Amino acid sequence: GPPRSVPAMLSLDFLDDVRRMNKRQLYYQVLNFGMIVSSALMIWKGLMVVTGSESPIVVVLSGSMEPAFHRGDLLFLTNRIEDPIRVGEIVVFRIEGREIPIVHRVLKIHEKQNGEIKFLTKGDNNAVDDRGLYKRGQHWLEKKDVVGRARGFVPYIGIVTILMNDYPKFKYAVLFFLGLFVLVHRE
Amino acid sequence: KANSGFNSLLFVLQWKIDDKPVKIDKWDGSAVKNSLDDSAKKVLLEKYKYIENFRLIDGRLIICTISCLFAIVALIWDYLHPFPESKPVLAFCVVSYPLLIIFLVAHRKDPAGMDPDDVWQLSSSLKRFDDKYTLKVTFISGRTKQQREAEFTKSIAKFFDTNGTLVMEAYEPEVSKLHDSLAMERKIK
Repeated sequence: GPPRSVPAMLSLDFLDDVRRMNKRQLYYQVLNFGMIVSSALMIWKGLMVVTGSESPIVVVLSGSMEPAFHRGDLLFLTNRIEDPIRVGEIVVFRIEGREIPIVHRVLKIHEKQNGEIKFLTKGDNNAVDDRGLYKRGQHWLEKKDVVGRARGFVPYIGIVTILMNDYPKFKYAVLFFLGLFVLVHRE
Repeated sequence: KANSGFNSLLFVLQWKIDDKPVKIDKWDGSAVKNSLDDSAKKVLLEKYKYIENFRLIDGRLIICTISCLFAIVALIWDYLHPFPESKPVLAFCVVSYPLLIIFLVAHRKDPAGMDPDDVWQLSSSLKRFDDKYTLKVTFISGRTKQQREAEFTKSIAKFFDTNGTLVMEAYEPEVSKLHDSLAMERKIK
């Protein structure tokens, strides 16, 4: 006899557009997706090249720099070799062995004649300097630890990034559905 | 009983639906336009037996693929040689990528080019939230390089029924009329 009726999801109606596509159109849909990802990637890498920083945009994770910066603020960094590090500047640095960079203010600098510097940092809102955070036996930071210097900021927007990091399932769900949407829709 | 279950499975697994009448959400403007565009193309390919010229589309696909390759190369290079050593390669890729996109857009604007065959072109427009669909057929003679066009603007309500199914009996004659008016001009000349 005739086939029994199939549940709506299984009948793949939302894929009708895709089913009518020939090979070229299907490849074009995949390319579309690839182009969007590539464009985002190229913008990020471009920012890296232009600013000289390996992470040109960062999100403040803690309240250790209040009232200057709050959790969720977005910071724009540059890391030009020519710019000297000065006391009072806000730097983003990475401690060896730790993945997450820290945003604090430069407190003290020792400078040698050849330009090499060692510096100490402290969060505005912290009671003590950052020596306790540095690696075992490390008392100073060097230029190589610097990810960048803060040149500008946008408040609060970074909260989305924090949410995505705290709830990775949310992040993957958003990315999955966005990807699906781009792949299935024409233009 | 096992049979009808199997039939249901076959029904689900049938992927290609070229023979089904086109049914779309009548309120989705881009789906309406896409279905009208595709059906107009179908008329030219099936009724008049023309061959689709893939050169333009293939060119576009190749340029997009190359752009993505540049991005992938940049990604992998940066991963293998961490920043800042990867800066020159990154800079090269980051500059080449938009150049390729610009080349892609420029490429779109030049369809007929050096083609010695006669070329039929279809173009259409449907404004957002509007119901007036314009279909334009252009004939470019391979010999004289002269082009002639004919178009119509009609409400999409004339071609779709209330369920959103495209009624080919109403649409196909309109497309054929445009084509035939240009074909006839050619014979008179």
